[in-house]
Amino acid sequence: MRERAEELDAPRVSAADMRRALATELSLGVRIGHTLLLLTSLSVATVTALLLATEPVLPPRTQVALGVSTAIGLSWTGFALWVLTKRRVLFASHRIVAARMAVAFSALFTVGALLVGPWGEPGWYGAVGVGLVMLGAAIGLLLAARRRFQELSALRVDLERELGRQGGSR
Amino acid sequence: MRHEPERTDAAREALLDEWLVVRCQLGEQAAFDALIERWHQPLWRYLHRLLGDSDAAAETLQDAWLRVLRALPRLRDPTRLRPWLFTIARRAAIDRLRGKYAEPVLTPIEDLDPVGPDEPAEADPDIEVLQEELKKMPLIEREALVLFYLEELSLEQLAEVLAVPVGTAKSRLFRARKMLRRQLTDKGVER
Repeated sequence: MRERAEELDAPRVSAADMRRALATELSLGVRIGHTLLLLTSLSVATVTALLLATEPVLPPRTQVALGVSTAIGLSWTGFALWVLTKRRVLFASHRIVAARMAVAFSALFTVGALLVGPWGEPGWYGAVGVGLVMLGAAIGLLLAARRRFQELSALRVDLERELGRQGGSR
Repeated sequence: MRHEPERTDAAREALLDEWLVVRCQLGEQAAFDALIERWHQPLWRYLHRLLGDSDAAAETLQDAWLRVLRALPRLRDPTRLRPWLFTIARRAAIDRLRGKYAEPVLTPIEDLDPVGPDEPAEADPDIEVLQEELKKMPLIEREALVLFYLEELSLEQLAEVLAVPVGTAKSRLFRARKMLRRQLTDKGVER
């Protein structure tokens, strides 16, 4: 009776096939790609927005071009954020990788603004200020990601200990 | 029909589930594979019986797994994995059915004698007849039977998956048992 029931209940798609079908969904590369897209588009949008806001004299065509570039950058930022929060969500270890990338990008942005920007002018202060805010936010994300990873790792150790007490994992 | 697992086995299974969830939330590929391996068939059984069609069940199952993977980082209480998985599978099935029919109308709660998990189970009739009779049942009653008797959810877990109070889940189960019993009797299946 049990064998017949199992035969009737055999999935149309095997677990192995389902794992293969979902492999892309779990790919770290795709997540890294979208994190890169997020950081690059955000950096570009920030730079163009800062130029637009702080450059005193810009020809109208340049202003339009910078405005469009900012809008495009923000659109890509929104898209990448949507993917990373709704589609290719970040698990604890992925969050650490993404946050480290954010720290590196925002640090690079800040150093770039410090060295390349028009020293002492309002635009320079604006760029450095934005860079520092981004760096602070990225460090905050990294600390939160590490805390979550440590909590889960500790829980995992506890559960393995408990399972071990009950006779080893199957 | 329903076999109560040993309490220690159930506790160990729950612990294994929790361990798998935590490893998945950490981002371990092997844990995702193990999770799918462990829960693929129970979810298939549920969806197959609920939808009564292999193609629809296979597509819904893939959709359900996608939803599970996307929602896993937000599962705050890993001990709730079992009802959580069936809730997601149910939502995927309802979304699919919504495309074809109006959302199933919930029958009102009837003031029926309560049924408990301790009530003596009936002897198994022929499994194929049972499958056929299950298919003929209305969706709401069918899923209560499948989840409680075949997937061995507790009454509390059943209520959580069906998103109804425990009393309603009990009534629904009682009504479903009565319905199935009547169908089997009409069919001449001895109990």
